[in-house]
Amino acid sequence: MLKIGIVGAGRMGITHYSIINSHPDITVSSVADPSGLILSMMKKYLSIKTYKNYQDLIKNEKPDALLVCTPPNLHFDILQKAAENNSHVFVEKPYTTDCQQSHELSRIFTSKGLVNQVGYVNRFNDVFSEVRRLVAESVIGDIIRFKSEMYSCTVVKPDEGEGWRGSRESGGGAVYEMASHAIDLVNYIVGKPDKVIGSSLNSIHSKKVEDAVSSTFVYRNGCSGTIYINWSDESYRKPTNKIELFGSKGKILADQHSYKIFCNDANQQYDYRQGWNTRFITDVFKNVPFYVRGNEFTNQLYHFVDCIQKPGLKNICSFSDGADAQDVMDKIFNDFAINGKA
Amino acid sequence: MEHIDNIVFGDNQFFGINHMSQEKAQQLAEQFFDIKNIFKVYQYVFDAGVNAVMLNSNDRAKEICEHFRLNSSSYPSLNWYPSIPYPHKYANLVAEKGIFPAINEVLFKDNSARKVMGMITKGSTAVLTKDAIKLMQLLIDVEMKMFIGLDIKVVFLQNIITDLILGYDQRDIFYEYCEYIRKKYKALPGLITQNMPFLKKKFQEWGIKGVVICSSYNKIGYLMSPDRDSYILATENNNPSDYQLMAMSTLASGAIPAKEAYEFINQQKLQSVVFGASSKKNIDETVGLIKI
Repeated sequence: MLKIGIVGAGRMGITHYSIINSHPDITVSSVADPSGLILSMMKKYLSIKTYKNYQDLIKNEKPDALLVCTPPNLHFDILQKAAENNSHVFVEKPYTTDCQQSHELSRIFTSKGLVNQVGYVNRFNDVFSEVRRLVAESVIGDIIRFKSEMYSCTVVKPDEGEGWRGSRESGGGAVYEMASHAIDLVNYIVGKPDKVIGSSLNSIHSKKVEDAVSSTFVYRNGCSGTIYINWSDESYRKPTNKIELFGSKGKILADQHSYKIFCNDANQQYDYRQGWNTRFITDVFKNVPFYVRGNEFTNQLYHFVDCIQKPGLKNICSFSDGADAQDVMDKIFNDFAINGKA
Repeated sequence: MEHIDNIVFGDNQFFGINHMSQEKAQQLAEQFFDIKNIFKVYQYVFDAGVNAVMLNSNDRAKEICEHFRLNSSSYPSLNWYPSIPYPHKYANLVAEKGIFPAINEVLFKDNSARKVMGMITKGSTAVLTKDAIKLMQLLIDVEMKMFIGLDIKVVFLQNIITDLILGYDQRDIFYEYCEYIRKKYKALPGLITQNMPFLKKKFQEWGIKGVVICSSYNKIGYLMSPDRDSYILATENNNPSDYQLMAMSTLASGAIPAKEAYEFINQQKLQSVVFGASSKKNIDETVGLIKI
């Protein structure tokens, strides 16, 4: 049995607890959170140890692995302590708020042979992982243009900027919290951009952070693409992720639920006709052992456990991948600071 | 346990929900923007002989309930199957404010001042004594408010909540939920889940019976964790006087043609099917195909 500690019992901590608790080889032994109310509820109903701070949890419990779901600006210290204790770590995105720190953590965890994973959950979505395979196998040829978009109705009222979500320093704002997913999806499917230009950030309801962001990514091989993310769009009931990829042999339009592929020529291996072909999630899904919030959430945590149990298994979303996303986000902030104002 | 209706009409189509295609979901949201179009569809359903309605406690549902309460004489006698809560309301609030401030906002938002005072007293006690059960009862009452005065047959807990609590292995919360629904709402407790075989096994172990379990159930195994065969086995071994089983997502969001879908469903030992449709043709066709 692997002993797991959870640091941060907010929305994600609570969800991850439920999912990982269903894994037959896992015991959740402890939770750390500054909220006395959460801790006393958890203590009352779950047979676990609770801690006001992560240092005591790590010191006393010596967990085999940690799920870290705190505000992003706290990740660096927590992850360093976890590494000192030789704990494997799954950390929620965005993984840090600083490029250097994110690369440093990646080096530490890799050199110690500790499993390290960031919660870019789209990598575990059945549609997006199939799209990545299609691109990698050059089914639509070389990627020339792309568009990665995300919309939600998360922030639709004036936000004074209290709490960690209200400031960029602590990891708040649409770039860190939402665009990070769209950026990581580009990194995952197309690759990390060599240059970032034309970035713009808009505040719609938030006082101190951005609610919408767009940017253009440029690659040395001539490929380029755009991202556009808006979390104050009330026309979307649920968070929606879309990616469009135009290649030398065809085109793919994908969201979490389906993809459409246009093939310039028929592809027998994949059973695609010449022209449009649609595949729905019902064509590509794989059931998970326990479902709470979408297959991808179970897939990502069970993959984390797999990586701990099978040394040598390559992690699908390592700290190094998290650092790549952080690099791109930093470039967006810098580009906007220099070129973004009229 | 009182028998549930073998065909229940669902509500996803009215609220722009389609698990397979966002485009289709948007199109439906537009079609049903005018609430009159919703009532038109309900009329097709009643004309087809179905008098049982499942409805999620979202903001639009309030208007629908109000309409049926005020015009009850124009309709046949209806059995209502509310599902609570409306998960997205909580998801955004919890992400934004944290779990307890979110609960506070939900509890106190839609209530008159006098009621709020009463609830604050009850609510603060619940929070201070860390009493999750009392807190849950308060939240149930807030969600159920819109259904008061309708004939409630089953109150379902939405799968996101059911499966979250199931992951935490919390017998007492489920037990108290079931008791509260039976006593306060004189209805059958219902649970929507995407893990039916596991939930049923747990409930048997825990000795909680007399419950309606609603889960995805379709020929291709979509949204059926851990797999389709486990569902078939759990259904074959089920005693309907302990658990009545209701199938949803029988067409797997449209991936399976209706005829083929219900040939499979009709062979299963299920007590009920909940289905959604938005045209008279599809409603009549589906009602004709379901033989359980």
